[in-house]
Amino acid sequence: MDEALERVEAWFASRGWKPFPFQRDVWRAYLTGESGLVHAATGTGKTLAAWIGPLLEASELSDASPAPRPASRKLRVAWITPLRALAADTAESLREPLEALGIGWRVETRTGDTSPAQRARQQRRLPEALVTTPESLTLLLTREDVADVFGDLRLVVVDEWHELMGTKRGVQVELALARLRALCPDVRTWGLSATIGNLDVALRALLGVGAPNDRGRIIRGVEPKEIVVDALIPPVIERFPWAGHLGTQMLPQLVVAIEEGRSAIVFTNTRSQTEIWYQAILGARPDWAGTIALHHGSLDRKKRDWVEDGLRTGKLRCVVATSSLDLGVDFSPVDRVLQVGSPKGIARLLQRAGRSGHRPGATSRVTCVPTNALELVEVAAARDGIASGSIEARLPVTRPLDVLAQHVVTVALGGGFVPAELEAEVKGTYAYADLREDEWRWVLDFVSSGGSALHAYPEYARVVVRDGRWIVENSFLARRHRQSIGTIVSDGHIAVQYLRGGSLGSVEESFIARLKPGDRFVFAGTPLEFVRVRDMKAWVRRAPNVKGAIPRWMGSRLPMSDSLAAMLRERLGEAARGELRGPEMLALEPLFRVQSRWSRIPGPDELLIERVKTREGIHLFWFPFEGRLVHEGLAALMAFRIARTLPITFTMSANDWGFELLSVDAPPLEEALAKDLLSPHALLEDVPASLNATEMAKRQFREIARVAGLVFPGLPRSGKTARQLQASSSLFFDVFRQYDPGNLLLSQAHREVLERQLESSRLGRTLERLTRGRVVITEPRRVTPLAFPLLVDRTRERVSSESLADRIRRMQAALEKAAG
Amino acid sequence: MASDGDVTLEIEGEPVVLMPEHALWLPERRTLLVADAHFGKAATFRAGGIFVPRGTTATTLARLDAALARTDATRIVFLGDLLHAREGRSPETLRLVAEWRASRGTVEVVLVRGNHDRAAGDPPESLGIACVDPPLLEDAFAFTHHPRSVEGYFDVAGHVHPAVRLHGRGRQFERLPCFWVRRDGMVLPAFGDFTGLGDVELAEGDRAFAVADGVVMEVAVERVE
Repeated sequence: MDEALERVEAWFASRGWKPFPFQRDVWRAYLTGESGLVHAATGTGKTLAAWIGPLLEASELSDASPAPRPASRKLRVAWITPLRALAADTAESLREPLEALGIGWRVETRTGDTSPAQRARQQRRLPEALVTTPESLTLLLTREDVADVFGDLRLVVVDEWHELMGTKRGVQVELALARLRALCPDVRTWGLSATIGNLDVALRALLGVGAPNDRGRIIRGVEPKEIVVDALIPPVIERFPWAGHLGTQMLPQLVVAIEEGRSAIVFTNTRSQTEIWYQAILGARPDWAGTIALHHGSLDRKKRDWVEDGLRTGKLRCVVATSSLDLGVDFSPVDRVLQVGSPKGIARLLQRAGRSGHRPGATSRVTCVPTNALELVEVAAARDGIASGSIEARLPVTRPLDVLAQHVVTVALGGGFVPAELEAEVKGTYAYADLREDEWRWVLDFVSSGGSALHAYPEYARVVVRDGRWIVENSFLARRHRQSIGTIVSDGHIAVQYLRGGSLGSVEESFIARLKPGDRFVFAGTPLEFVRVRDMKAWVRRAPNVKGAIPRWMGSRLPMSDSLAAMLRERLGEAARGELRGPEMLALEPLFRVQSRWSRIPGPDELLIERVKTREGIHLFWFPFEGRLVHEGLAALMAFRIARTLPITFTMSANDWGFELLSVDAPPLEEALAKDLLSPHALLEDVPASLNATEMAKRQFREIARVAGLVFPGLPRSGKTARQLQASSSLFFDVFRQYDPGNLLLSQAHREVLERQLESSRLGRTLERLTRGRVVITEPRRVTPLAFPLLVDRTRERVSSESLADRIRRMQAALEKAAG
Repeated sequence: MASDGDVTLEIEGEPVVLMPEHALWLPERRTLLVADAHFGKAATFRAGGIFVPRGTTATTLARLDAALARTDATRIVFLGDLLHAREGRSPETLRLVAEWRASRGTVEVVLVRGNHDRAAGDPPESLGIACVDPPLLEDAFAFTHHPRSVEGYFDVAGHVHPAVRLHGRGRQFERLPCFWVRRDGMVLPAFGDFTGLGDVELAEGDRAFAVADGVVMEVAVERVE
C-alpha cells in the first residue's frame, strides 16, 4: 500500500500538485470500507478524492496488471454523473493517473450518446470503470444477467449529488443504489456535492436508511474561494420594469464587460434567453462571429462538445449558456462570468461564480446583468446571502409512486423479484422509508393486474408472476419499458432536424405544436423555417436571417429561493426606511420614489396589497416576496377563499415578488381579510380544494403519466400498434378521475403540486408570517413599478365559483359587446 | 323530446339538431348520427400494457341511450371509428356493445367505416350492424368519416374530434369539444368517453357550437392570424 501511495504522490507532484488533506481522508475512509459524502466548491479536487481509493485498493490486491486482462475481471467502479455531456470529460480525467500508477483498467462511458457498437461490446463485457447517467445505469439494471454484471462492484460514485437529490432522477439513483447494494452488499458509495444547507439529509438519501453500518462520513473539501458579486448598473432606471423584457439597453455594457476578459461565460436563466442574448451580442459585435457560441441542454451533443472544447482551449471569447455549463468540466481560461437576469438562489450564484478563477485559491467573480431594474435588489440580496452563508437546502423527493412503478418493472426485467424482498430493499431508501403498505400493494397491482384482486383485468399484464417470481414476459413491453426509462428528464421533447439531414437538438413538443408550416423561429443560434412534424421529429430548413419566435422552454420555472427571498425582504425593509445601501440600491432611488409616492414600499412586517382599476377589470396586486411557487399557491388559495363567499371568477398571475388576482367585478377584499382570509388554519383542506378549481394537478400529471409508463415517446418502426396506444396525459387524468378516483397516481399529482410546486410548508410559514404582520391596502390610480411586471406576465391560472356554462356566456357577451 | 341544451339549424332545407350528448339528430329522417365512438380503446391500451380503468364503454353507451330517449329515431348511423383497434375487441367490450344492441333491437344501425374500423375489423355480424364504406349518400347529404372527402354534397363527418379554444375578458380561457359547421359540411364532436380533442382552426364563414355542461351553444371564436 505504501508503495502505491508513493506512486500516487509522485504522480501528483509530476503535475505540480500535492494531495489535499481532505483527499487523503477520503482515500483512507474508502480503504477501511466506509461510505460518505465529500462537499466542496467546483474544481477543488473532489474527483481525485473519490477516484484514488479504488486505485490504491487495486494495487494492493495486485489486481491491476496492465497486461492481458483476465476474463474474470468485471466492473469495479460505477461513476454516476447527472449530465451525459459531462461523461466524456469525467472519463478523461479518470484515465489520467492510470498509466503512472501502472493500472491497466479500462474507463468507458455509457450514456444515451453511446454508439450501438460500443453498447454491444459492453453487453459482452463491461470495463472496470464505467461513467454513466442515472438513466443508463437503470437501463443496465434491466439486464437479465444483472447479478453477474455487478457481482464485483466495489464503489459507486455519485457526482454532483446536490443536483440530483432534489429531483425524481435523484430518487431513481436512490433506488438503483439500493438495488446495487442488494446485489453486492460490500459496495461502498461516495457522493460528491457542492456545499448545501442540508448535507446530513444529502448523506442519508445517498446511503439509504437500511443498514445500521451505513452511517457514512461527511468530509469537507477545501475552503471556498473568495467570491465577488457585483452588477452592471443600467444608465437609466426603467421605472416600469418588465420581466419578459429583453433588457437590450444593457447590451453595450455587457459587451464591454465581455471585452474586459479573455474568455467569458454569460449565464442566463432559460434556454430561450440564451438564444436571444446570443443573437443580440452577435448583432452588436458581428466581428465576433466564430469566437462566440451558445450552449444549452437542448442542443445537439456534437455542437455542445465543440463549444466546451473551445472554452477549454481558450479559443472562444464568449459562450452564452444556461445551467448546462453549471457543472463539472474545468474551463480554466474562463476569467469573466456574467449572470443575466435574477440569480434566483444563493447556491446557484456561488456555483456560477465558481466557473471563473477555476483554480483553488483564486478569486471568483460574477457580475450580474439585470434584465429589469428590480433585479438589482436581488443582486444586493444575493451578496448579503453569500456573506452570511445562507446556502439553500435541497429537499429530496419522497415516495413518488410513478418512479417506484417504473423501478418495479425494471427489476422485474432484470432477473425478476420476490415482492417481500424488493419491498424491504425499497424501504431501505430515504425516499421510500415511509412507504405505506397500501401504497406498495397498489404499485404491485398497478404493474400486474391493473386493479385490486376483485377487479382484475385479464387483458392487462405488464408484469406476470411465474413460480413466485415477478417477471416481464412480453418482449414488446420490455422494449417499450427500456425506451421509456429516459423519460424522467425529457418533457416530451422532439428532435429538430434539417430536411437535408443533420440534427440540431431538441425542443419541447408544446413549442412545436404551436408552429404552422412556414413559420420561422430561431434555434441553436440559427434562423429556421418549420416544414412539418413526422416520425416524432420536427423537420426544418434554414431560413434567411429573419426575426422569428424564440422557442419558449420550461426552464424558466425556477423560483427565487427561500434564502434569497428572506434577504430580499430585508433589503426592501431598508428601502422603506429610506436606507439605500450599495450601488444597486442607490441606483433604484427613482423607482422607489415613484413606488412610495403612488403606493408604498412595504416594511418587513407588512403585506402590501394594491387595488387598481383598469379596462380589464379590478386588479389586486399582493406582495409577499416569497418566490413564484409560493405565490401561485397563495393566489389560488386567496381566490378560492374569496370565491367561496360569492360567485366570482379570478384570473391569476404570479412572479417571484408577488401575485395578481384579476376579476371583472370588485371582490370583497376587506370583508374577506376580516374573516381570516390569511389564516394558516385549514390550509391542507383549502389548498387542495382550490387546486380542483385549477388545472395544476392535471399539468403535474403529465410527468407522472410519462414516468409511470402511461404515455411514452413514439417508437420508431413500431407503426400502427404504437399509434393506437397514444393518448394525452390529460385524457388519462380525466378518465382516472372519473372511473378510478382511488388511483394513487392522481393523489401523487395533488401531493406533488402541494409539496413541490406550491411548497406547502413554505406556504404555511408564509401565512404565519403574514398573519403576524400588518396588511396595508393602497389604491393607486395607476399600476405601480412593483405591480407592472405582474400585469404583463403571461402565465395565468383561474379560479371560479361560476358554472362553466355561465362563464362561457359571459365571455360571449363580452365579445359581442366588443364587436359592437 | 327537445331540450334547452339543443341547437337546431336548417341545413339543405331540413332541420338538424345539435345535441349536447355529442350526437346529431335529423328528425325528418328519424336518424341519429354519432362519430368516433372508439369502443374498446381502453381495452386496447390495457392489452398494450398501459393501465386504463374500466367503465368508459358503459358510459358511452349510456349517453347513446340518453340521446335515443330524447328522439324517436329508427336509425343510428356511426360515422366511423366504431371500434378502436383489433386488440380492443375484448370479450367484455363486445359483450357490453352486444347487450346494448339487443336492448335496441328495433333500431336500424349502420356503420360508415372509418380509418380505425379498417384495422379493427367490422363488428361481429351477430350485432346486426350494417357496415358500408364511406360515403353514404342521401339526397344532398354525404355521411362519411373524413371531412371534405366528398365533392358536391354536404358532408357530415367525424375523425378530427373537434375542439375550440375560447378567450374571454379578464384573460379567461376554455377548451371545449364542438360541432364544427362549414358552408359545405360539418364535423361532429367525438362521441366516445375516452377520446382526445383536436383543435380546429375556423376559416371565414365557419361556425362552432361548443358543448359544455349539457348545453350546446354557438361560440364566436377569434381567429388568430
